[in-house]
Amino acid sequence: MSSPVITPLPPPQPAHEANTNLAHLNPLPKSVFTLQQTAQLEALYTIIRDKNTSRGDFLFYSDRIIRLLVEEGLNHLPVVKRTVETPTGTTYDGVGFEGKICGVSILRAGEAMEAGLREVCRSVRIGKILIQRDEETALPKLFYSKFPQDIASRYVLLLDPMLATGGSAMKAVEVLIENGVPEERIIFINLIASPEGLTTFCARYPTLRVITGWIDQGLNEKAYIIPGLGDFGERRYCS
Amino acid sequence: MSSELSGDDLTSVASTLPVSPTRDRFQPKKNTVLVSHGRPPWYDEDGKPTGDAYVVAVSGGSGSGKTHVARQIVKSLGSIPTVIILSQDSFYKYHSPEELELAHANKLDFDHPDAIDMPMFAACLADLKACKQSNIPVYSFAEHQRLEEKKYLYGATIIITEGIMALHDPVLRALYDLKVFVQCDSDLMLARRLQRDVKERGRSVDGILDQYLRFVKPSYDNFVRPTAAYADIIVPGSNNTVAIELISAHIRRQLQQRANQFRQKLAIPHLYFNGRSGASTPDSRLEDLDLQVLPQTPQLKGIFTILRSNSTSRQDFVFFADRLSTILVEHAQQYLPYFPKTITTPVGVESHGQILNAKHICGVSILRSGGALERGFRRVINDVPVGSLLVQSDAKTSEPLLLHAMLPVCVKLRHLAKESWVFLLDAQIGTAAAAFMAIRILLDHGVREERIIFVTFLVARGGGVSVLRRAFPRVKIVCGAVDDLMQEGWLEGYRAEGNPEGLGRKIWVMQPGMGQIGDRYYL
Repeated sequence: MSSPVITPLPPPQPAHEANTNLAHLNPLPKSVFTLQQTAQLEALYTIIRDKNTSRGDFLFYSDRIIRLLVEEGLNHLPVVKRTVETPTGTTYDGVGFEGKICGVSILRAGEAMEAGLREVCRSVRIGKILIQRDEETALPKLFYSKFPQDIASRYVLLLDPMLATGGSAMKAVEVLIENGVPEERIIFINLIASPEGLTTFCARYPTLRVITGWIDQGLNEKAYIIPGLGDFGERRYCS
Repeated sequence: MSSELSGDDLTSVASTLPVSPTRDRFQPKKNTVLVSHGRPPWYDEDGKPTGDAYVVAVSGGSGSGKTHVARQIVKSLGSIPTVIILSQDSFYKYHSPEELELAHANKLDFDHPDAIDMPMFAACLADLKACKQSNIPVYSFAEHQRLEEKKYLYGATIIITEGIMALHDPVLRALYDLKVFVQCDSDLMLARRLQRDVKERGRSVDGILDQYLRFVKPSYDNFVRPTAAYADIIVPGSNNTVAIELISAHIRRQLQQRANQFRQKLAIPHLYFNGRSGASTPDSRLEDLDLQVLPQTPQLKGIFTILRSNSTSRQDFVFFADRLSTILVEHAQQYLPYFPKTITTPVGVESHGQILNAKHICGVSILRSGGALERGFRRVINDVPVGSLLVQSDAKTSEPLLLHAMLPVCVKLRHLAKESWVFLLDAQIGTAAAAFMAIRILLDHGVREERIIFVTFLVARGGGVSVLRRAFPRVKIVCGAVDDLMQEGWLEGYRAEGNPEGLGRKIWVMQPGMGQIGDRYYL
């Protein structure tokens, strides 16, 4: 195990097969899109999963993954043909971005993804939702929400780093739909998902696209993602 | 550097008194790369150095005027770009405590050939001659000791070594292209030595004479004067203007034969180079170029549309250039090696992941426009050293000139350079002239070709990239998009340093391109 054998594979080198998404959930629901399962992505996850990683490193490397996820998510937005003139005097047939977007973060961990979102989408509007478990019914309950007024006419990037049982994410989508956002205009952006949560979520909202970085093994008895990375918000803000 | 301040070759004496700096202020410094106007290409279109640096040895007795001769040669060479005067003094051996005691009592024989670390002298000179970097030792005359620090030298077209024992060692002699011996009468040498040491080093006449008779004179008779037999030219120690002119005319002629110009070939390679099939083809096939082009996603196309448009504001240009460079550098991470690692997550579960397995990673940006990729580079690689190369086109010939090189430590030191992964950053590969030079510099330093990852926004496939590929097949090139052509254009000149007449010049422009990326990012 410990001998440093580096196999000369053509890049990109793959992630360990036993860790990959398909090893944990096969087939993937049609609406789920993942990042390419490469060694370099696995290396980012290895750092943020490690309980000994410092807060500074956790911030830096989780930001890198978030940027990759947002870039992937934006690729699901429509573009239109656009021809421009270049400084050399020739024309270039390119594309222009179409449609307004906004971000919605599920407090509190979702807020941690806002910086990464703004690095890719400058000055994007960001709404917020606070959902907590109701102690009487044990169901997720909306405590607070604040959205841009015209949210119904925008594409929404819904941000939550961890998808465990999927309870709060589904509640958040419910709130967005109540505010007039069509299901197919919501893109859910997520760092780590459990197969159980993902299956439930996609069954409930089949046309909502989910961009996830990694699908893990599953949930433990306390509904924590295994191997996961612990509490994302806690590690990002408090530890 | 004490050896710079110390003026002459110092022989056995060393004073702790500061030397008057005025004498050296307007003189070419020793052990420094002297640059007059930038370094033109020292390699051919195959990427191989066209020749070694030209090495001149200047030897002669203490006080014969070696340093004067060396400096006069540099002066009369005029606009020769890069010269090093390498002083033998830097190579005095490391002294044991006993030797150190003798040295401080002025009783150690510094005039014996054994006082010089000849193998190290030869090794450093051989590296410099082969256009590689060298980290030469630093000798302190105040402490009579070799110091821990090293002096980094790289990139000389001409190397002048000077010292009393410069012609003594056969290994060293084999490295010289031209051997000069400065011949001078003993009485004149002694007179100069007396004058210098009394005036500049505050020493007594008795002490100087004692030293002269004990070490300097026997050494000259036994070791220095006989080496005159190896010299190509014997130069008189005074009234030697004609001799120096002859020498510099000879050197200039030698260098002219080595000069190499091929930027024109890079811009429109199909006129000069044959394709792999043997036929000359205007289009180099994309698959032959082995470029790693980003997946052309809708977002990427949208970003390029904004960057290419001439109506894009500077704020937008900067923002989208940063975003693009981040995507590019992320994509380029696939070339680094990864290694299994098992960690425990906060949930208490083990996870068998992977971790980056590269000890030294650095970036080198080709200024100015390579700076446009630095933001993205730093977003992806934490705490990474980023060096820079300033490469500009010569206003007259359009050939690239290396004006400045500031490289990370892991490139400067050869043993680290072999293990380092270097990301070269430049906005585009058009004629590839700057890319060519930058890669050559890294290879000169001992960086492995397959560990160079070139990250760039745009590549013109009809441009110099095919020549670059031919010369350096193992360099990885990661780019955002590929354009078709290079077109000849004219850049209006304006009066500036290096271009006093404000001449315009011929340039090659990428079509459709992004315009002058450096200007759009910075101005």
